[in-house]
Amino acid sequence: MNCDTFHAQFAPASEDAVVLAHLRSCDACLNFAAEQDGDVLFRSLGGEELVPPGGVDAFVSDVMREVRLRGTETTVTRRTAVWPRRLAVAATFAAMIAGTAVVYEIDHRGDAPVQTAAVVHHQFRTAVKPVLESYDSKNATIVEVPSAREDVTVVMVFDDSLPADL
Amino acid sequence: MIPTKDSIEPDDRQLVDTIRGGDPDAFEQLVRRKTSKVYALCYRVIGNPEDAKDISQLVFIKLWENLEKYDSRYAFDTWLYRMVTNVAIDFIRNRQSRDNAVNSNLRLVKTSTEADQGVNVQRKEVEAVFNDISSVLSPKQKTIFVMNQMEDLASAEIARILGCRESTVRNHLFNARKLMQQQLQIRYPEYAQLWRNRS
Repeated sequence: MNCDTFHAQFAPASEDAVVLAHLRSCDACLNFAAEQDGDVLFRSLGGEELVPPGGVDAFVSDVMREVRLRGTETTVTRRTAVWPRRLAVAATFAAMIAGTAVVYEIDHRGDAPVQTAAVVHHQFRTAVKPVLESYDSKNATIVEVPSAREDVTVVMVFDDSLPADL
Repeated sequence: MIPTKDSIEPDDRQLVDTIRGGDPDAFEQLVRRKTSKVYALCYRVIGNPEDAKDISQLVFIKLWENLEKYDSRYAFDTWLYRMVTNVAIDFIRNRQSRDNAVNSNLRLVKTSTEADQGVNVQRKEVEAVFNDISSVLSPKQKTIFVMNQMEDLASAEIARILGCRESTVRNHLFNARKLMQQQLQIRYPEYAQLWRNRS
């Protein structure tokens, strides 16, 4: 459409695509149209398809590079994501086995502390009872410890010179 | 009979099916086909070529990631435009919260003498005026205004794209015009006289 045809065909509120296309490409006709219909003012900005900075080829190339990059990242992430999951499962099993073993150990220690306590108790009794009488000589030391009963029990004799069957 | 370009090239739905079949070259073809359209809408809504380019690329990446969700019973462009408007509106909202409308009053008001002399309308200047006064619109109002006035989309189609009622679209359009008129009156009285004619 040339300018003469546009002048002839233009009408306010026109929706004619050809008329609008000319309006959007010709400043002289925009002036003419705007005087008749102010509404065309901002309509003149539309229509034509615009090219991004750098051109369509560069734009498409950038998009495709990003798409491929994201595709690779997704694949790598999926691959690597399998190993932590497997490790986590293995660690869970190991923790369960170790936990069971510890519980088993504690359960079976139920008898042992009694025995240990008995030994400790025995040692405790010999250690804290006061020494009532002792005999010192050049060759021997005899320590007598009172027992629960009335009689006296000799619990230690230290004398290297005495015969072994004493 | 020699096959025409249209008969050789698959339509949008066929391309999407091919992409879903695992052909990345088909996606490249789709991007190439829609670049100008997507960029144009982004540029008109955002008003800055570099930001519009970044947002357009983001749109295509989102398109690639969500292509499985496209329902081929509906027009592909409607779905694509919905994605563009969502991303662009999000971008404007974030930018608005950053800028806090710092640029809204940068232009000095022309004197009445200048306004009385009339205006020799040129698209470059109209574009600058639009970018300036449309900053008072909400992202949705601006998007609707751009789609209606510059992309020549009917309010019914805009309603489908935005997933709202047609009356909502018309309401946004009415408010957008009202706000822009006020801004024109204050900042570009010479243009306000022109735009007042019909709207």
